[in-house]
Amino acid sequence: MSRQLEALILSKRIVVCLGAGGVGKTTVAASLALVGAKLGRRTLVITIDPARRLADALGVRDLGNEPAALSREVLDTLDVPPQGEIFAMMLDMKRTFDDLVERFAESTEARERILGNRIYQHVSEALAGSAEYSAMEKVYEVMESQKFDLVIVDTPPSQHALDFLEAPQRLLEFLDSPVVTLLVHPAFSAGRFGLRLFQRGIQRVLQVIERVSGMGFLEEISNFLLEFEGMSEGFRNRARKVRELLVGPDAAFFVVTGPARLTSDPASGFLERLREAELPLAGILANRVRAWPGGGPCPAEVPEARHGDAARSALTHALRATHGDTFPADRACEAAIRAASHYASLVNEDQIAIASLREEAQRQGLLWHAIPELSTDVCDVDGLREVAVQLMKDPRDPESAK
Amino acid sequence: MISSLLEKRLIVVTGKGGTGKTTVAAALGRAAAQNGQRALVAEMGFGEQLPGLFGRKEPAGYAGCEIEPGLQLMRIDPYEALAEYLGLQIGVRGLVRRVLANPAFHQFLDASPGWRELITLGKVWHLEQMRDENGAPRFDLIVIDAPATGHGLPFLEVPGVVLSAVRSGPLHRHAGWVEEMIRDSSRTLLLPVALAEELSARETSQLVQRVKDHGTIAVDRVVVNAVTQLPFPEELRDLDRHLDAIPADTALEGLPNAPVLAACARHLRSRYELNRRYVAEIAEVTHYPTVVVPYLPGGIQSPAALDRVADALCPRESAAAA
Repeated sequence: MSRQLEALILSKRIVVCLGAGGVGKTTVAASLALVGAKLGRRTLVITIDPARRLADALGVRDLGNEPAALSREVLDTLDVPPQGEIFAMMLDMKRTFDDLVERFAESTEARERILGNRIYQHVSEALAGSAEYSAMEKVYEVMESQKFDLVIVDTPPSQHALDFLEAPQRLLEFLDSPVVTLLVHPAFSAGRFGLRLFQRGIQRVLQVIERVSGMGFLEEISNFLLEFEGMSEGFRNRARKVRELLVGPDAAFFVVTGPARLTSDPASGFLERLREAELPLAGILANRVRAWPGGGPCPAEVPEARHGDAARSALTHALRATHGDTFPADRACEAAIRAASHYASLVNEDQIAIASLREEAQRQGLLWHAIPELSTDVCDVDGLREVAVQLMKDPRDPESAK
Repeated sequence: MISSLLEKRLIVVTGKGGTGKTTVAAALGRAAAQNGQRALVAEMGFGEQLPGLFGRKEPAGYAGCEIEPGLQLMRIDPYEALAEYLGLQIGVRGLVRRVLANPAFHQFLDASPGWRELITLGKVWHLEQMRDENGAPRFDLIVIDAPATGHGLPFLEVPGVVLSAVRSGPLHRHAGWVEEMIRDSSRTLLLPVALAEELSARETSQLVQRVKDHGTIAVDRVVVNAVTQLPFPEELRDLDRHLDAIPADTALEGLPNAPVLAACARHLRSRYELNRRYVAEIAEVTHYPTVVVPYLPGGIQSPAALDRVADALCPRESAAAA
């Protein structure tokens, strides 16, 4: 068992997985939850968008906005001890944001007006990273409930690295900004411009917006923001608490990355932003790294050319000895060498792709794991168990440290 | 037989991060330029990835650069597009400059949804409208590398939202022009790029369904990228089993032993089969033809690799017929 991972999983209360889309973040988050449960913890995994068959395999088809427990039957197949539990939930971001409005609205009428506001309906999905904000809001809610020993968070894929973390701040800055302050000024929404009361810069800004958009639009925004204003104190408090939780001793961040096969991998960007934000980075998990079979070192190239003839005749001979004279041993031999040579180049490609991240992890003393690509999809209990096994291996063991 | 992609005026390439849509966009631009067309490939977002695919280090920027004869690259920065737009609208340059320099305005913009998408699409419309001195379109084909993640489609829905939220005035009029361009199926096409994996297949079918429901933009095919090919003939697909039957301790003159050879063949075969299944699934759930782009070992950062992607997207026959 990897001591470093074990210590983290046993001592932290919240583990956040960051990474670009398509690196298998959801799978890694689910596997970390499994590691938690195997260590006897009551673990919740909050996912954004689980693979459908993964959810099916876990028996949580109706994954909703509230935690659902995995059945004991499934836990048994995953070798989870009796005291360990796994809960899973899928975040419905729009609903979470609506829930927030319900909670913080000053009155039933105000709530109805906000939820019914055309602008709100259009922007609630996009407003100041409300999706990311909602994710963190939900995390805070489950942490506050004290129902779980460990919460694993699969964050929304994001181009902007730490959007989810900065979202609360951005939302508050927006609500506090002079333009918005002016827009929520009652004189404005009543249609009477109290422009003189405000600094000239803001006047100009409003002039420009008005000239381009027309007065009616600003008025509608104003009405919306006016309703929102009453809630901002609630938002402000929550946002501060979410931030405190994430920078505190109970939290750990993992950067999940895949070998950059198709696109420049933004993992190093994530590392930098985490450092800037002074967040507790705990480790880097490289997912779906193709590994050389049998655990030995990957040959730089399969000696197709160098030992060509001798190797070919040895393999052809072995194939013929095993399968008889009618077997197309020559062609199978050719194919086997080509497959091995092809696969070796893929393995080497991945090793090169992850090399700099591995060095970075070593330099910073971070947990580092390269999770080998499985030959099948990780869409079932077996796949998940296998990833968890890989995660729990001691990274100093050469086989998993590669 | 579906028509050549090169017959369109505007292709919006969309897909989740990591699907290789920037590569697809770059390859399309290169195919168009090699077909004698004047092409523009535009990306959005923070960093620039396009120039690197052509082996260039310097960013193309908002002004753009001609990377190859007939092929222009650029990055549409929403703030620069906004400055250009406001300059055209307001006319008073000093006022626009002061407003854009106002920190309060920036704060307001940073948190305001929708404007980036709208102004970016406005710039695309502007580029599409550009004419040369002979009155012909400045660009025959414009390829947009749409933002990654789930925002791909809401990106194209923004003009419609603005049309319904802002009922009159210049903004309403301009959003109408952009909307008209996006919905014009004779000019414009959405090109979804998927991977042959479960999550990607499902996301792509959701995307296609949403486009159909809203009638946002035309789709006529789905690109499935990085599909693993079998590096040996199909009839030898059971190769791993044949190799597994060889005793593990058989000496093979410097070759990896039989179980390792078998594992290599098995890994490639199962990836290949998995990929094939998802390609079929994508075709089935979307009801569109799939265009398969093979996985290119060694990466895509070379013109030769881009050409292979271009060949898959625009087979030479149909390119010649176009």
